[in-house]
Amino acid sequence: MFHMTDWKKTAAALDPPIPEADVEKLLPVMDALENSFRPLQKKLTAESDVWTGPEDLA
Amino acid sequence: MTILEMADALRAKKVSSLELTNEALKKIDPRLNAFITVLEESARARASAMDAELSHGIDRGPMHGIPIAHKDLVYTKGVRTTGGSKIFKDFVPDHDADIAASLDRAGTVLIGKTNLHEFAYGITSTNPHFGAVRNPWDTDRIPGGSSGGSGAAVAAGVLPMATGTDTGGSIRIPASFCGVTGLKPTFGLISKRGVMPLGWTMDHMGPITKTVRDAAVAFHAMGGSGAVPSKNADIRGLRIGLPVNYYFDTLDLEVSESVRTAVQTAAALGARIVDIKVPNIDEINVVARVLLLAEATSVHEKHLGRRADMGADVLTLLDQGRLIRGSDYVDAQRLRRIYCREFSKLWNDADCIFTPTTPTPAPKIGQMTMKVGAVDEDVRLATTRLMRAINVLGIPALSIPCGFTKAGLPIGLQILGAPRAEDTILRVGAAIEDATAVVGRTPVR
Repeated sequence: MFHMTDWKKTAAALDPPIPEADVEKLLPVMDALENSFRPLQKKLTAESDVWTGPEDLA
Repeated sequence: MTILEMADALRAKKVSSLELTNEALKKIDPRLNAFITVLEESARARASAMDAELSHGIDRGPMHGIPIAHKDLVYTKGVRTTGGSKIFKDFVPDHDADIAASLDRAGTVLIGKTNLHEFAYGITSTNPHFGAVRNPWDTDRIPGGSSGGSGAAVAAGVLPMATGTDTGGSIRIPASFCGVTGLKPTFGLISKRGVMPLGWTMDHMGPITKTVRDAAVAFHAMGGSGAVPSKNADIRGLRIGLPVNYYFDTLDLEVSESVRTAVQTAAALGARIVDIKVPNIDEINVVARVLLLAEATSVHEKHLGRRADMGADVLTLLDQGRLIRGSDYVDAQRLRRIYCREFSKLWNDADCIFTPTTPTPAPKIGQMTMKVGAVDEDVRLATTRLMRAINVLGIPALSIPCGFTKAGLPIGLQILGAPRAEDTILRVGAAIEDATAVVGRTPVR
């Protein structure tokens, strides 16, 4: 399991903050995205470099 | 007429560029709302100049004198470029985008700038500032997006070619929904300079045309290289990968049948059909979303002080992008490399891969969810799920029409290739096009 981000707190801490009324509709989408993305990060190792192009196979 | 037919007619003096241009301007149908700006006067002057060049023996090649349009995020010197946004409604660039300059050097005649999804950040082209673009096959339906105006204009026969950009399917989706051809080349092959960005590492420029050979001609004029596929292109022995997982799992039945018929057509032409197992595309799509949310917000965050001037869907996506952590964005770029390597192994077994372009035909304007097979899906996520990953991989992809539903809506076939294998996918596309009677049908309104 991983620690879920508190999106409301994050949105409020931004400068300028995301208006509260708009934050509510972001929550389910961001939760779903985080739930899908965090497990993928387990694939990464210290050797995992960033993508540099479609032919980057080195 | 296609680009190549127009080129022949111009050289045989059966028609002039001015006549082609006048005809194109006459065919613009305000009901489709495919254009944000129409350039009647300058287009006619340019067409006359191109006619004069041809009559003096100056021939710039197959696009000389051909009327075209640019998606309205391609910078055009002295011509406003809105990006489909209220924020840029009066923006007039002082220089051309590289692709605009390339196509200008090739002798094209610019007749206008096409409507699009705001900032190219969406798939409906239901633009809150310039109005919804409508699908020529059924005006109650979306043309797809974000290059919806380009797709609609080509499908309606106004033009043989318009430019598009593709960050998560924005060339291929309109091609599929409008029954035309769309080429997203290998990432970086066509210059992005002077095109309003959306996702720095996933934006691709490419042509939307009526036919595959026209796509090859336009691709070359935009800076690509290779050959235009010959008539009766030979695909004997070519290995066509058919995914046994993901791409055919949840589809509209008529889409599935049409794409499988295209596979059979390729086999009948002598291609070898090879079953392949693709990497987890859902996972790559998640990576795509993290990348695009962060990149698009990087482009447009400076405009977030003007929230009332943005459409609700775009504003929501830009807000989401502000919540992506920097380390997550970098991790997404690291994961991208892993998936790219996994996917590249498929090219040991296949020369190209056939998939549907979109899982359904065009949804209705305003529709938020749709049934795909037995599943209810969000229209945006469903429409992009067979193509987002391809922008992460940066490989070339071609969408061609491969059939029509019983209701008369076009169905798209997506042909994927290895990096820089545009020649291969264009050759296969041309062979399928020649062997079927799909291209050439035009919407009747």
